[in-house]
Amino acid sequence: MSETSEITTSDDTAAGRPMIALEGVSKTYPGQERPAVEELEFEVPEGKIVMLIGPSGCGKTTTLKMMNRLIEPTTGRIILDGDDVTSVNADQLRRRIGYVIQQVGLFPHMSIGENIGMVPKMLGWERQRIATRVDELLHLVGMEPGEYRDRYPRQLSGGQQQRVGVARGLAADPPVMLMDEPFGAIDPITRDRLQDEFLEVQRQVAKTICFVTHDLTEAVKLGDRIAIFGTGGRLRQYDTPDEILTNPADEFVAQFVGGGAAVRRLSLLDIARLKLDEVVVSATDSPAGNHPVLALDDAGKPDRWLHVPGTTEAPPLVTVPFTGTVYDAVDVMLDSRAPLVLVLGDDGAPRGALRWDAMVGDLRARGNA
Amino acid sequence: MTAPPPTITRPIVTPLRKRRSLALFVTPAVVAVIVIGVVLWINAQDFTAPGRAPEGRALDFGDLLSQFGQHAYLVGVSTVVVVIISIPLGILLSRKSAGRLGDAVLSIGGFLQALPPFGVIILMAFSPLGFGAGSAIVALVIASFLPVLTNTVVGLRAVEPSYIEAARGMGMSAGMTLRLVELPLAVPVMVAGIRVALVLNVGTATLATYIGAGGLGTPILSMLKLGRADAAFAVAALVTALALFVDWLAAVVERLVRGSSA
Repeated sequence: MSETSEITTSDDTAAGRPMIALEGVSKTYPGQERPAVEELEFEVPEGKIVMLIGPSGCGKTTTLKMMNRLIEPTTGRIILDGDDVTSVNADQLRRRIGYVIQQVGLFPHMSIGENIGMVPKMLGWERQRIATRVDELLHLVGMEPGEYRDRYPRQLSGGQQQRVGVARGLAADPPVMLMDEPFGAIDPITRDRLQDEFLEVQRQVAKTICFVTHDLTEAVKLGDRIAIFGTGGRLRQYDTPDEILTNPADEFVAQFVGGGAAVRRLSLLDIARLKLDEVVVSATDSPAGNHPVLALDDAGKPDRWLHVPGTTEAPPLVTVPFTGTVYDAVDVMLDSRAPLVLVLGDDGAPRGALRWDAMVGDLRARGNA
Repeated sequence: MTAPPPTITRPIVTPLRKRRSLALFVTPAVVAVIVIGVVLWINAQDFTAPGRAPEGRALDFGDLLSQFGQHAYLVGVSTVVVVIISIPLGILLSRKSAGRLGDAVLSIGGFLQALPPFGVIILMAFSPLGFGAGSAIVALVIASFLPVLTNTVVGLRAVEPSYIEAARGMGMSAGMTLRLVELPLAVPVMVAGIRVALVLNVGTATLATYIGAGGLGTPILSMLKLGRADAAFAVAALVTALALFVDWLAAVVERLVRGSSA
């Protein structure tokens, strides 16, 4: 509806070639009548994060473990990087796939460096190359190698242990990573930070990742795609987070996604994708047409609103970084009861303003579309 | 990994972590005090007095030394045999594929250990092995293999499944997982079992004299026959000193093993 802003759709459909492909995969455990996983058929594009989510017992972990053959499928084929996983030795296969689990499973009798260097050692790397790689990975996960390399797992906090767990999974630079609820046992604040760090690491390494979770917020935050499993091990929907939140495939997915879907979607919308109101920087309280007027302080930083159209008294000045999401913008506006928020670029200079009423109108228009 | 069956969930003996470092220095001192005390006591005796000649012969230092050698031989060989039998067997029984067989074998082992060693030693003399060290060693093995077997099984079962999952998930074979992860983590519990076996064997080997296998039991037995409680006590003290010393030696080895693996 608005002429001031426009929300564009994310386009993840332009995905790379499939790195992992499941073809009619089923698993029935011995002595059980009903399959744990039934007729799975989906592809994981190269360099993307696919989140496997669903209620307990839906087969998401079974699916993950079939990809590195910790569990053998009853029927069907799993193709990894062009090869049928059953055509190669299982141990050799697993050395080419990073594996990170919820309990971390760092070996308590080995130092952090030895833990991370285990797979490269099995692959026959030279000592010097392993040492270099260990330090590189510790840096990557934000831990000072000199301080942590020779420590033992029990000397680390839960969050640090899982950082090392991720580093260990990445050690031999595998193209594929399988992660089984890696942040599930970590307190919410640390988990949030680990997720941010994880996304930052993924930006650098661009692995193909399958990630099991039971936390929808985590799935929406981390996933390029989400696979929702129903009870009985059937795949109910496989799509981008945005699409799953907007257009659930069936009643089950709608119920699973729940009532908070609209709010969750806000965190998927980058401010960068919105068209912002122009802001006029001025020293005097002179109305500048229909644009909000901003005053700078002596250092050239935004100081306060001088005039905002449609208001008699200037509202408090709140800011949000250009790289943030609409969720962040809504959060600061609600918090300070401001009808608009100033968007700042990386350099701290104003990029424009986001108005509450215009934004809500857009979201409504988008929801109806 | 299935949960360990409920029947046997704890090792017979748990490794002593805190007390050990102190005992590492105290034990050799205690052993030295006992040995020196016994030697001084023997030297102070007047075996030329009437009727004390048999006592003097039994407490001859040369004889005691060779009996000590026999004793150490019985203990050493039987313990090595126990380790060679019990640890591989324990590893097999701790595998998931062994299922509940492990519990069955441990129960049979419990029954065997409940047999009085004295009876077993005498019975062994009537086996094809006959009198002598061979029978004594078999009897000692029967009397002391259970702690090692139990602690091997329990120590391996107690390794957290997540370590094994991580090991297999990163591409270790079953053998590598056992060698690099499971055994190093189970070693303290296993060594604790071996220490118990050693100490049991030092005590039980005193009975070997009944079937002509020698050892420090020989002077104890002859002194008891002569009604010389003080001399029997002196030799028994030497046996105690040997048990303490062997236990201390095992503790040192345990520390070295742990040091290289943790």
